Amino acid sequence: MIGIVVVSHSPDLANAAVALALQMTGDRRPTIAIAAGAGDGVIGTDAVRVAEAIDEAASPDGVLVFMDLGSAVLSTTMALEFRESTNEVRLSSAPFVEGIVAGVVLAAAGASLDDADREASSAMTAKNAQLGPASPPVARPTPEPDGEAVAEATIVNEVGLHARPASLIVARMADFDAKVTVSDADDPQRSASAGSVLGLMGLAFAKGTRVRFAGTGADAAAAVETLRAMTADGFGE
Amino acid sequence: MSTTATLPTLVDWLTRFRDAVAENQGYLTELDSAIGDADHGSNMTRGMNAVIGKIGEPAAVDALFKTVGMTLVSTVGGASGPLYGTFFLRIGTTAGAVTELDGPALSAALHAGLGGVIQRGNAQPGDKTMVDALTPALDAFDASLAAGDDLGAAARAAADAAAKGRDDTEPLVARKGRASYLGERSAGHLDPGATSTALLFESLAQALK
Repeated sequence: MIGIVVVSHSPDLANAAVALALQMTGDRRPTIAIAAGAGDGVIGTDAVRVAEAIDEAASPDGVLVFMDLGSAVLSTTMALEFRESTNEVRLSSAPFVEGIVAGVVLAAAGASLDDADREASSAMTAKNAQLGPASPPVARPTPEPDGEAVAEATIVNEVGLHARPASLIVARMADFDAKVTVSDADDPQRSASAGSVLGLMGLAFAKGTRVRFAGTGADAAAAVETLRAMTADGFGE
Repeated sequence: MSTTATLPTLVDWLTRFRDAVAENQGYLTELDSAIGDADHGSNMTRGMNAVIGKIGEPAAVDALFKTVGMTLVSTVGGASGPLYGTFFLRIGTTAGAVTELDGPALSAALHAGLGGVIQRGNAQPGDKTMVDALTPALDAFDASLAAGDDLGAAARAAADAAAKGRDDTEPLVARKGRASYLGERSAGHLDPGATSTALLFESLAQALK
């Protein structure tokens, strides 16, 4: 599992963002190391502490680092010169909160460094899509080829497909060898990968939305059936 | 007439720089409050106080500047931490385990420091950063040495050029750091980083006088 490092000017900010992300994972969670503040309650960043955090989160699968602004980036690039670990370290360009949520959820689901980095970096796209048609278009997954497994279910949760169900879907899909697209059965343009927590959240499916799951791959049938059952069951809420 | 910068002289430089940032703490923070996050004076004062508390009696130039750089990185908090930290760390590694620096050696060390700052901050001259004071200071230092001046005169020339570089940041629009968020509104203010860098070279000139 990849490790996660959170670099912030403020310990409060870092702890709160991590707590938000951890709400969306189960018992299986990545190592998360926080480097925040410059000591003695000073708002700022400390490159030496960032290097320690990168070493704490070290994993053969790599480490993904999320930073807030300004000196957080400078301190982190400097920390790369100080650290003792030798595994790959990737600095995420994602916005802080969305990036941490995506990174932690994907890491917990066993995603690779590449996949977690890509998902986190797509955060602005997902948010733009959620804000409506005035925003830049979001990249649509390509239509599934013939031979796909398909199932449908209706959202029963009062608050719709929100953050927690989205992360549950991503976590469960990690168990299957399948690529599944989640779409609005009545408006197929509204679709996202079942592996993308931000994409699913960006769909903002409300209660009553008829959801179509279409999958390909060796476990496609089991994957779409699992998603259908989870949805019909209200994601355990 | 000084021909080399000895360890005590270098410690004197750093001590004078600490005194200068402490004395100008309010001014630096005022400059930073206009275009940044109003912490440059307090950050540099805290960092340099920690440096002076830590350096003790260094055995060699590289050890001295390693302590300086690492201490700043850990205590400054803002972008000046990694920037000044990288500046001093590069000075140390370039100078090596010696006990004094002659003109060319000090020039090489300072140039390595400038290279580190540019690499770390990804800033170019004209971006309204400390690079705008550092670059002319080193140019003047080298020109003075090349003209046959002693180290004290070269440091004086560097300090004057750094002060001019600082003044020249006033009309610039910031392209790096927190001030760049202000865009055109950053024009009309001195850059706080260039201002503290001018203090750094004024302190060097005083120490080498």
